[in-house]
Amino acid sequence: MNKRYANPYAIGVCLGLVLLFSFYTMGRGVGSSASFARIGTFAMGLVAPEHTEANAYFSKYFRGGRSPLMAWLVFLSLGAGLGALFSAFIANRIKGEVARGPAMGVSARLWLALFGGILSGFAARLARGCTSGQALTGASELAFGSWVFMFCIFGGAYATAYLFRKEWL
Amino acid sequence: MGPLYKFGWFDFAYSFQIAGLVGFFFGFVLERAGFGDARKLTAIFYLRDFAVLKVMFTAIVVCSLGLLYFSLFGWIDLARVHILPTYIWPQIVGGLILGVGFVMGGYCPTTSIVATVTGKLDGLIFIVGMMLGSIIFAELFPLLQSFYEAGGMGTVRLPDLFHLSPGVIALLISLMALGVYWVAERVEQKFGNPDELPKGSPKAKRIAAGILVLLGLILAVGYPEERYAQKPVTALLPPKGEKATPIEQKTAPVEKPKSASGFKIVEDEGC
Repeated sequence: MNKRYANPYAIGVCLGLVLLFSFYTMGRGVGSSASFARIGTFAMGLVAPEHTEANAYFSKYFRGGRSPLMAWLVFLSLGAGLGALFSAFIANRIKGEVARGPAMGVSARLWLALFGGILSGFAARLARGCTSGQALTGASELAFGSWVFMFCIFGGAYATAYLFRKEWL
Repeated sequence: MGPLYKFGWFDFAYSFQIAGLVGFFFGFVLERAGFGDARKLTAIFYLRDFAVLKVMFTAIVVCSLGLLYFSLFGWIDLARVHILPTYIWPQIVGGLILGVGFVMGGYCPTTSIVATVTGKLDGLIFIVGMMLGSIIFAELFPLLQSFYEAGGMGTVRLPDLFHLSPGVIALLISLMALGVYWVAERVEQKFGNPDELPKGSPKAKRIAAGILVLLGLILAVGYPEERYAQKPVTALLPPKGEKATPIEQKTAPVEKPKSASGFKIVEDEGC
């Protein structure tokens, strides 16, 4: 496996240009957490259609009479998956595994990934975006709330990192 | 003049192709940086590798300076760029919870996509968790609604808040980024594994830092502040000479004009 990653500053410049391209063409930045909320809404709509469309939050994803999946960010996430797959393929980095520290068991790691995902999904809806849709996009627009949000991500993570040290170190 | 979509250069259906293209490069660069691996991502929280911070800050500096330069050259109308509104309390609490979710789960939403497609099972489980978390939020929404709207301040941007010109803010952000990089590199030299840290030539770094400060200074001196003023929604009509087309309104999800393909443009959303 090839572990030699690109220089983070060079990557940052490229990412900034991708974001700028998005602003120039669409007038908006990137994001991804909403696409998972939309897929979740779509699944809920299959199981309990009336309940889902009556829900005050889910219903916004049905606006315009379209499927919740017919959204800009869903297509962006699909593209992100393809781009990452291509990059990992040319660097020979595709490998089935569970990323964890040397002292961590597989099943404990997967449970923590599940609960971390639940917290992240919940928090991203509460804050109207995630690291990309709120922090990266909003901070580039110099939006005040997004800067506060970004520092709070680091605050929350550093405050609890000690609890999870066995998961990673 | 951009944003091209807001001036009707292409319709809603075509915008999905742009989404796929933007997403492709987004995912590509994240994977290049190694952000498909939770160990690489969480190393920042144990002071071993600050790649996450460097990538994020550099992207923000490049994009925010880029937006101001585009505006300066008349290539983009910033009044038509969707600015994320500030709801300060849910953003503070949401940020803190997202941080805990990050160090617990090992990913943030976009990097979990990168992890999943490169074969990480924990990335896929994280995605399942995010869907569940979103559903839980929606089911609890009646209880959370008042907090969800707490501290609503509208679209507040840093120049409005600090009463400084956008160019000066851009310069300050550039200087702050350089300070953050300097500290981050000192810290990771101390705690990190020297074999895995990126090696850049100090000379190249100094030149890049100099260019960044110069670009910030030019904006601080030369960016006309009136160009940054947010126009009221009523002023968002297409200027003469541009192609007339559906213009999205900043607020109020009322009926929007139809675009050429018969699709309706719905309101912007952040993420």
